[in-house]
Amino acid sequence: MSDPDFDLDRLAKRVVPEPRGEAAMLARRAAMEAFDETSKKSSTATQGTADRPRLIHIATQIWSHMMKTRFLSSTAVATLMLAPIAGIAAWQLMQLRETSPTIVGQTEVKQDASKDALAGNKIATADKKAATPAASPAKPVELAKERVDLLAAGKAKTEADALVRSEGEEQFAPAVDGGAAIVSQDTLTDAPAGVEVRRKQVAEPMLAQGRQTQNEATGLMAPDSVIAPLPMPEPSMVDEVNRDKFPEFKSNSVVAVAEQPVSTFSVDVDTSGYSSLRRALNQGVLPDRESVRIEEMVNYFPYSYAGPERAEDAFKANVTVTPTPWNPNTKLLHIGIKGYDLPVVEQKPANLVFLLDVSGSMDEPDKLPLLKSSFRLLVNKLKPTDTVSIVTYAGDAGIVLEPTKVSEKAKILNAIDTLQPGGSTAGEAGINAAYALAQQAFVKDGVNRIMLATDGDFNVGAASEEDLKKLVEEKRKTGVFLSILGFGQGNYQDVLMQTLAQNGNGIAAYIDTLSEAEKVLVQEATASLFTIAKDVKIQIEFNPARVSEYRLIGYETRHLNNEDFNNDRVDAGDIGSGHTVTAIYEMTPKGAPGQTNDPLRYKTGNEPDTYTTSTGEYAFVKIRYKLPTEATSRLVTQPVTDQNAVADIAQAPEDVRFGIAVSAFGQKLRDEDATANYPVAEIEKLAASAKGTDAFGYRGEFMKLVRLAQGLMPN
Amino acid sequence: MDAVSGVSFLDDQSLVRKAQQGDRSAFGELCERHYRLAFQCAWRRVGNRADAEDVAQDALIRMGQGLKNLRDAALFRGWLLRIVINAVTDLQRRRIAERVGVAAFVAEGDTVWFEEDSQDRDAGLWRAVRRLPEKQCEAVLLVYADQMSHREAAEAMGCAEATVSYHVHEARKRLKTLLSEDAQ
Repeated sequence: MSDPDFDLDRLAKRVVPEPRGEAAMLARRAAMEAFDETSKKSSTATQGTADRPRLIHIATQIWSHMMKTRFLSSTAVATLMLAPIAGIAAWQLMQLRETSPTIVGQTEVKQDASKDALAGNKIATADKKAATPAASPAKPVELAKERVDLLAAGKAKTEADALVRSEGEEQFAPAVDGGAAIVSQDTLTDAPAGVEVRRKQVAEPMLAQGRQTQNEATGLMAPDSVIAPLPMPEPSMVDEVNRDKFPEFKSNSVVAVAEQPVSTFSVDVDTSGYSSLRRALNQGVLPDRESVRIEEMVNYFPYSYAGPERAEDAFKANVTVTPTPWNPNTKLLHIGIKGYDLPVVEQKPANLVFLLDVSGSMDEPDKLPLLKSSFRLLVNKLKPTDTVSIVTYAGDAGIVLEPTKVSEKAKILNAIDTLQPGGSTAGEAGINAAYALAQQAFVKDGVNRIMLATDGDFNVGAASEEDLKKLVEEKRKTGVFLSILGFGQGNYQDVLMQTLAQNGNGIAAYIDTLSEAEKVLVQEATASLFTIAKDVKIQIEFNPARVSEYRLIGYETRHLNNEDFNNDRVDAGDIGSGHTVTAIYEMTPKGAPGQTNDPLRYKTGNEPDTYTTSTGEYAFVKIRYKLPTEATSRLVTQPVTDQNAVADIAQAPEDVRFGIAVSAFGQKLRDEDATANYPVAEIEKLAASAKGTDAFGYRGEFMKLVRLAQGLMPN
Repeated sequence: MDAVSGVSFLDDQSLVRKAQQGDRSAFGELCERHYRLAFQCAWRRVGNRADAEDVAQDALIRMGQGLKNLRDAALFRGWLLRIVINAVTDLQRRRIAERVGVAAFVAEGDTVWFEEDSQDRDAGLWRAVRRLPEKQCEAVLLVYADQMSHREAAEAMGCAEATVSYHVHEARKRLKTLLSEDAQ
């Protein structure tokens, strides 16, 4: 075995320092407390909060997940990055091929007090890093919070940990550029204004695979600030149904409230899953069932939920409880979140550089002509003071239009019209030119963005993809972001494009029709350009007195560990101006027939607190978010009571009914058990009843797709 | 309750079982015995004392919380190392988050990861090991640096023993390439 060139046994010979007795003692004391607390929790099952007695059970479940996960994840983990937890959770979910992935672990919200003791211990060791004395008044709180995270981590995050492994290179990357020294500040206290949120240097592996959400906050950020990476909705171009690698995942299963009363996930405003699905159906094939993302389908449609009045509130949650159309025994909890609509006057000036692929491969009806039309639409949407430049990349990468104010609209449109296909793709030259122009016309306090349109034949020349990613990331730090619009099919390099967009804090959208271009570039222009809230996480606690089981429909890939909810360091999705996000739970009321989980035989009798009466709340919705310029999260809560319930789905608001129809369709496409006996025709009927004015024809198109699918489905 | 009940004569497995039944002193003894392992395992991965102490403490806390879930007491050491490795990952993640948050303004702290020991004649080997793919690196560190058996390493990595052997095998091949590159 032993090779003359290198003897691995020498690794053991490296002198490793001995531990300090004092540190060992502190660690031991903290561990003992954790041990005691855990024992206490599992033995005395009272204290009201419903999570108490289930610790062992859940932990066991986590354990078994962990085993499976670790085993299955070897390739997946290699693609992970450290920071964006949502992405990790997503992968984690994909790896958890059975049982209930939705809920893992428990909330720790109410236990701060008991954690303080432990925090005390933490301080003892932490103050060697943090200059603040342990006695400083603010500190214990923060540390307590952190400690809570850590402790929570111990319970449930271990599962995530199993997956939060990264490439060796990254794992050992020297952290030279950052003063890892500061423990405080970015936790739960007020962040200093103008904190520069900066990205780490050791980021390549992370960038390669990270999921960042579109983060378009330039307009709202300090001039020179840049934005941290955020988890991106999954790459979801189901391009070329048979050809693209597309992550598959299992649906959320039904969870017993008694076991896991809390469900946590990150918002997802990505909608490209729907475009892909539409294309598949229009081509006469059913989309790959495992790849259907229900939440992206539901979130594709604009809904007119009530929004918040003020920007400070960022958004509002509208909850509705309605009977389930596909199951007489259950109810649906529909949560519709509406982001604050940024009035036009508040929109920041934009400096857009169109980087357009006009290479020979773009010479197809659904590529260059569509691209031209799309950008014409976008230009018409811009304000006169905005700036547009155009760069093409093809054989002769070149500047077609120097930075031009939109007030000279004719000049811009003319430049778009004169674009001719031809030549090979010279991505690198093009992208460099685009960045140069973006810099030239840089708007302080504004939106500086390159919009790269391509069919994906992105030849980066001698430069490797790594270099390209690095470039995009560096430029992002200077405040120039990158969004990518994909055109055509068959050649679309989804992974590279997604990666670039994520590294550039942009969206990657797929444009297959002019109406999609209108939707992405015009209808949602403000949403995708202006982020109003970042790291938006949703947590729902169900009341076991009213709900015995629940199932989150969709969001499999956006699952978060419960303890991540209160951890401001855990990234999640962003919400843009006017965005809506919809989540739907199917819940089985307590005592209703059709329970899928047997009651726990050995559950110790702990009747919940007084608030949990049979007439009380169904659930409690908590939303955490950060304003784009803040590092500290805010919390919005909303109880779900009988007041939010309707007796008949017909009484539910139109938007709610439509969202439910879409989710039913998604479940059908995923061939889920829940909707097995619910005919597609019913979905169409439900959708038709909720079509509303449908100004842009999105809902009508959906119904067309339902009909198409009906013809393709076995039953 | 905390009386020393002669637990120091028990072997690890018995201690684990006792602790799983709620025996505090058995748990305390486990902490006592294994802090060093946790610390040194952490040190090999983070390369400095401050972080290694943090990780070790974190790991012990998690051990206190999760010990009940360890099914096979014989695999305790591997199980513990997995916790340590996870805690290292968490730490790295926090570091990144911190850097994202504030550190832009802060001068380099006292935390240095992987201060290369220039005296170490194996520095090149260590560097190469760190450049291995994550699984391979982990397997090599566990088996050779932490001197775990393949069985324990398998527990720590949450995979089959055969997989550990495979990773080690692949790592050897890769290392040969990496080291010969370095030599040139």
